[in-house]
Amino acid sequence: MARTVPTTGQKLNFLLFLVISILILYLDLSSNNFQNIKNGFKSFKISSYFILKEITIEPLKFLQNRYKTKSSLIKENEILREKLKLSDLNNFITSKENIFSKNKEIYEDKYNFFYDVAKLRSINPNMFKCCDKHRMQIEVIAKDKTDNIEKFVFNKIGIIGQIIHQNKYSEVLLLTDTSHSLPIKSESDNFFCNARGSGREGYIICKYNPLVWSEEIIKNQIFYTSGMGGIYPKDIEVGHVTNIEVVNSIEQSLLIKLNASPLDSNIFGVLKN
Amino acid sequence: MSFIKRLLFLSVINFLDQNISNFLSEFFIIIPLTFLSYCFYVYRSDKNISALEAFLLGLFFDLISGTYFGLNTIFFCLVAYYLNSNANSFKLFSYLQVCIFFGLSASAYVGFTQLIVNLYNFSYLTLFLSSIVNIIFCFIIAFIAAYFPKSINMKL
Repeated sequence: MARTVPTTGQKLNFLLFLVISILILYLDLSSNNFQNIKNGFKSFKISSYFILKEITIEPLKFLQNRYKTKSSLIKENEILREKLKLSDLNNFITSKENIFSKNKEIYEDKYNFFYDVAKLRSINPNMFKCCDKHRMQIEVIAKDKTDNIEKFVFNKIGIIGQIIHQNKYSEVLLLTDTSHSLPIKSESDNFFCNARGSGREGYIICKYNPLVWSEEIIKNQIFYTSGMGGIYPKDIEVGHVTNIEVVNSIEQSLLIKLNASPLDSNIFGVLKN
Repeated sequence: MSFIKRLLFLSVINFLDQNISNFLSEFFIIIPLTFLSYCFYVYRSDKNISALEAFLLGLFFDLISGTYFGLNTIFFCLVAYYLNSNANSFKLFSYLQVCIFFGLSASAYVGFTQLIVNLYNFSYLTLFLSSIVNIIFCFIIAFIAAYFPKSINMKL
């Protein structure tokens, strides 16, 4: 059957909805007005997933385990694995080779160094591997409800990002997000730079003027946090230089490979200080 | 197909889309399965798709795919309008022309979405490869429809 050609009224309808769509896109791009809706939906999605899993898969798993002779061992194994992850996180704070070891203030004060443990709840690997917006949702496990906004998040290898929104779950702005800026420095303290997220997995980019910063940067040179900005403590190893690009006579760009990846583990620490 | 059924069907496609795109991104390829399925639905539909339906579906997919609001909405409205206006003309075209049209529409979608969500790493390689793969993908679907008509000949 032939379809009728849209009438003038229908065409106007399309035009109206198109204009509304463009306005919504502009509003979303230029402001954070829809962030609550998005966060609410993410929370709903994560909660529904866990509730559904609890109702459907977990009872089946339980039944399956019950009739297996190894069931108790499996459970014990799961508990031990969880404890191992937690002890990894605890150990790296007190270990001499942890990411904070260069920072004397934290290291000497290590027994007063408080942090909360957080569990990964959601990360979109599609967005993380392709796009500019790199975020993840974590659940901070703390007895007291404190404000975690702007607190920095780390795993057993290094810094991951900072918390930007807090609801039931906390949204973490990862270092690789293009809107994130991390103040870094060289080991000699003669070179400082603000490294922006590259939008690519595991890399940040530091652009600087070689006429201002005369220190010669070489490949594989290690960079540390400078402590400026007040979010991240000083002297934490961030990563190493993998590529140096001369943009023009007044601009050079360093591609820095980060040590830590949010995909490395499901357990994180959130600095309380 | 009722609106809820269509919504569920497209949601399943969207779920597949998100899982496949993770794998395909390693090869600089993006196949917008949700968008192509929606195009297919509008193309095969016996009735004209209303602007409100296109708008609501677009908004819903913006929400579940975690992109900016308005991104899918614009494309859904545009494609619904264009296919509604030219539904009868499309019957005169060959499979080759229709496949190239849908493949290029998918490429335009990829290009536009990459400009919005991945501006800092916009890649012409991804766009070029995606265009070719999308056109080939449409050919494959057309071949399946031609040789196994029962599998595609669903009532929409």
